[in-house]
Amino acid sequence: MKARKSLIKIKPKKFKDGEIVKVSFMVMHPMSTGMTKNKKTKQIIPAKYINSVKFNYNGKEITNMTVWETLSTNPVFTTYMKINGKGKLTVTYTDNTGEVNEKTKKIKPKG
Amino acid sequence: MQRRDFFKKLGVVAAVAATAPTIGFAANAKPVSQNHITIDAAINAITGGKKPQTSSKVTLKVPEIAENGAVVPVTVSVDSPMISSDYVKAIHILTSKNSNARAIDVNLTPANGKAMFATRIKLGGTQDVTALVELSNGDFLTASQSVKVTIGGCG
Repeated sequence: MKARKSLIKIKPKKFKDGEIVKVSFMVMHPMSTGMTKNKKTKQIIPAKYINSVKFNYNGKEITNMTVWETLSTNPVFTTYMKINGKGKLTVTYTDNTGEVNEKTKKIKPKG
Repeated sequence: MQRRDFFKKLGVVAAVAATAPTIGFAANAKPVSQNHITIDAAINAITGGKKPQTSSKVTLKVPEIAENGAVVPVTVSVDSPMISSDYVKAIHILTSKNSNARAIDVNLTPANGKAMFATRIKLGGTQDVTALVELSNGDFLTASQSVKVTIGGCG
């Protein structure tokens, strides 16, 4: 299966230990509701949407979300996070069709 | 007289032809979501019968007029210290007229540092967007705003 394109963005780019930073997670996903029709073939496009998103920082779950099809195509999830030492931020996301993916970003605070 | 009858019949045929597709369209116009739920049922399911209070602590940022209903940015922020004794447990975003009223439930922890969540949602038409916030002491706060949608985003 083709891997989905996804991205984790942290703002500001340079941060210190203990700082609160903005974290955005973006993913390329159709998020189809199962209520729309293909205009050419007149057939209903089957539902395919992200079910749940989990933010893990150094093995500790900081945020978990239950998602429904109301979110837009190529959704963005933005929250804040407190930096607590060097480590990894892992975002795991699950599909209603059973597709599981994850994205990791290294976190290196300076100073 | 024959000419008059002919036009009468023509008129009837035209009327039938004009209404038939609209009836068919009306039947197809509102497809129902797999997880169909109304907003009142959704709020009840989340709060368990408790009445949420409107509060100025919750800030809901939505455009008043959305040109494209397929992409409506929503930002919810809550005034909270986010320490282990007093923090925001969850943020729910709900819509009043979409087939599935629930958009997203976000469960936060004190490790977030700041209670804020932003995303983009689809709106099928002009309606209200509601943010329902659950605090760690069990209270529920809400804020809502109406959004005017010029082009619907759900089909």
